[in-house]
Amino acid sequence: MRFFAPFCIPFIIGTAFLFAALAVKWGSWLYHLPRADKKLIGRNFFTLATPKAIWEVIRESLLHARIWRVNSLLGYMHTSLAFGWFLLILVGWIETTAYVGLRWVPLQGHVFFKYFAASAHLGHKPVFDFLMDLLLLFVLSGVAWAVAKRIVHRFMGMRRTTRHIVWDKLALSVLWFIFPIRLIAESITCAVHGGGGFLTGSIGTWLAGWVPRSTLYALYEPAWWVYSICLGLFFIAMPFSRYMHIFTEIPLIFLRQYKLRSGKKITSYDNFQVEACSRCGICIDPCQIQTDLGVNDIQSTYFLRDRRYHRLELSVLNNCFMCGRCEQVCPVGINLNTLRQNSRDKMRNVPNEKRYEYFTSVPVEKNSAQSKIGYFTGCMTHLTPGMKQAMERIFTATGESVWWADREGGVCCGRPLLLSGETDSARKMIDFNTRLIRESGITTLVTSCAICLKVFRDEYHLTGVELLHHSEYIERLLVKGSLKPARANDESFTYHDPCELGRGCGIYDAPRAVIASVGVLVEPEQTREMSLCCGSSLANTVIDDGQQLRVSRSAVDTLTATGAKTIVTACPLCKKALARGTSHNIRVKDLAEIVAERL
Amino acid sequence: MEVERMKSQKNHTREVVVVGGGVAGMQAAIRLAEQGVRVTLIEKKHELGGHIRSWYHLFPSFTPAQEVYDALHERFASHDIELITSAEATEINPTSVTLADGRVLHTKAVIIATGFEIFDARRKEEYGYGLYDHVYTSADLELLLHEGEAGEGLAGALGFTPRRIALLHCVGSRDEKVCQPHCSKVCCITGVKQAIELKKRFPDAEIFNFYMDIRMFGPGYEEMYREAQQKYNIHFIRGRISEASPTFDGRLQIKAEDTLTGRPLRMSVDMFVLLIGMQAGPNFGLPHADSGFLEPQDLFLGNVVAPAQAGTLGGLFYAGTVSAPKAIGESLNEGIAAADAAAAYIKQK
Repeated sequence: MRFFAPFCIPFIIGTAFLFAALAVKWGSWLYHLPRADKKLIGRNFFTLATPKAIWEVIRESLLHARIWRVNSLLGYMHTSLAFGWFLLILVGWIETTAYVGLRWVPLQGHVFFKYFAASAHLGHKPVFDFLMDLLLLFVLSGVAWAVAKRIVHRFMGMRRTTRHIVWDKLALSVLWFIFPIRLIAESITCAVHGGGGFLTGSIGTWLAGWVPRSTLYALYEPAWWVYSICLGLFFIAMPFSRYMHIFTEIPLIFLRQYKLRSGKKITSYDNFQVEACSRCGICIDPCQIQTDLGVNDIQSTYFLRDRRYHRLELSVLNNCFMCGRCEQVCPVGINLNTLRQNSRDKMRNVPNEKRYEYFTSVPVEKNSAQSKIGYFTGCMTHLTPGMKQAMERIFTATGESVWWADREGGVCCGRPLLLSGETDSARKMIDFNTRLIRESGITTLVTSCAICLKVFRDEYHLTGVELLHHSEYIERLLVKGSLKPARANDESFTYHDPCELGRGCGIYDAPRAVIASVGVLVEPEQTREMSLCCGSSLANTVIDDGQQLRVSRSAVDTLTATGAKTIVTACPLCKKALARGTSHNIRVKDLAEIVAERL
Repeated sequence: MEVERMKSQKNHTREVVVVGGGVAGMQAAIRLAEQGVRVTLIEKKHELGGHIRSWYHLFPSFTPAQEVYDALHERFASHDIELITSAEATEINPTSVTLADGRVLHTKAVIIATGFEIFDARRKEEYGYGLYDHVYTSADLELLLHEGEAGEGLAGALGFTPRRIALLHCVGSRDEKVCQPHCSKVCCITGVKQAIELKKRFPDAEIFNFYMDIRMFGPGYEEMYREAQQKYNIHFIRGRISEASPTFDGRLQIKAEDTLTGRPLRMSVDMFVLLIGMQAGPNFGLPHADSGFLEPQDLFLGNVVAPAQAGTLGGLFYAGTVSAPKAIGESLNEGIAAADAAAAYIKQK
């Protein structure tokens, strides 16, 4: 039995092209991986990481578990298309084997098996007819969802959906046609040759009933041609379109399990992350730049698209708070902030050596008081001296001798430079502060700035020095009993999670415990992992003051909807940003301030 | 001192209500009364005068503010003007003004002269006003100068003799970070005036004015600015101060950048004066600029007239700083202009 007909040619060309493209892409990405990454793969390949990755591929690439958690309608759409199609291939292969026994069958033989089986009069196996029809129906229902989503995305619980490029539109259109055409081709085949399950068989019988047989014969081959052309076109468009994610997510999952990570500089591993983006658009809705400012071309999906096609503009790259709300919902788990940061490094890193000459004139010496605790005020806390005073009172109340980093020559933590892409300049700051902190001999470093804390934890090598946010430090003091603020049972506070503290450092509970010790905490609607950005993030260098204010006001509205008269936050930048978005009767205070005023 | 008083005549059919008893409102009421218009002036405080009562000497002539107020008040008292003090307007229509206590004053026209509010310097937390000692606002300094005159001089009122003083311009003006996009117009010249006042009292002190631009728009202002530099040796540094913090010896350290030489600088001072700007008061739901100040019909022939709104045919007029920051002389002029426009309006009706 020959598994070839002329209509198979478009499919064969498409498939060959796809495999070649995948081989070239994956091959070059893997080849260009940094040496350390290659070593990681080697080291982790024969470990539990591999079966874990396989399981994750099943869970995510086929079943799309994470999307289900975000939006079950979208989850069903993705599962029916991905898992349904996969099952069609798998069951199709079993079906072929059931008919012809275990022997080599070319790819087109499996894909167009119905055609070959019917032409060769192989007889019928109703179980498979039923199964294959069921699966086809499953996939078709997904296609129907996809079409509905394009027309009315609100229907799927999404306010907005991604705008696509030409390759995407081509691939999308043929993808929509593939399965309905397959249904038609198989139904006509059934009409001519009989057989088929509840779907193709029924339609076939119905067609045979009123369409003249000569017409059916005339349509028979062309229908299979159209099906083959659709498949071929889709496979050719795939490597250039968003559908590249189908195959890219698989190696990404493996590499991630092997502990490969994106960093401050672009590496070849980033390619896997960038092309694993399916442009599903789930990142658009949580973006406050979209909801509050109506800017619709900078969200992560567009950033990754522009980066992938080498047309990234600074106006898109820099217009982002890097608040991380999109990262929280990304179903592929792409490190969106890190990728944006290393793009900035590539496009903006222009170190100015002269600017840091003054470092040499700062004396670095041991602290004379031999304090074990250090306090890093941070530049922003200097602009909110109420916080600094509150910390001073807390230190005094505990009787601790404290080494003040900024009084001993400490410079900026480096995070603002890092966020703007000035990675190498930031490194100079980081190295200088590291030397200063090491020399001081402290064992604990407290900072009241979430921005500083983030960079301390991520970038500073300070083994032997415990890095604490002031919320964690104050919480410890409360637990130890060295601080005893008076608790007001009738005063309610609402808490704003700073992006850098919550999503950035994973600190959610310590500030809440501190607030609970001085009053009643009321949570806003969007909180913890999905808390809003204050709008003044250092990471955004594009929007103007008026736009910052609009974002701040809408964040404040969410917070004041709780009825609390005091908004508490734990970052000097958030404090300043929220304060200007509030009306006169609402106080904006730092954690340390509400504690200190009750001592 | 003004005491609360209320003239109420029988059968007083009100023709114009002036809201706000600062210099612009007083001037408008006087001008209307002079033309025989029956006018009522309402003032939210318990006495007339508004901000001028808190000022010490007025730029650029160093005329005592009290003198200007006394002369104005004398004229005011000589006319038959109904005065309602401790009365805040909550709602303003061309034909009625509703007060906070629920009273409704019916009228034929209204002049809004509610003026400005002083910017709350605590909103610029980085300067430490309300947190550190020795940080003052320009309004505080005027009161201290008063107090000093009445007692043991400025050093007595301050409690110390400063050796180095910094004055910072544009606090709460031209600053989008605190939603105050506008120029408050009078702070530049106030800064020069106050620097001279300080130098006169503390001749040995070094005085630094930190500015973004020096805007000397009025008669005699530029001359005064020159005199401040040449005669009084006051230093002007172009650059905003970024932050202030207390030092161990009880002084203040300020950080700034001298943008003309492009160098950062730190300086310890004993006294830090913030030249605070004008902030818009309530807008009564009327059209206003981003800064919050009410927008007149146009900036030329209709600059004291409220824009004609749907359903109203005029009858609302603006005088003084309610529509933009202005100096006292300008506010006084606008009082006259608004009064004349209102008088013409009710006659034609």
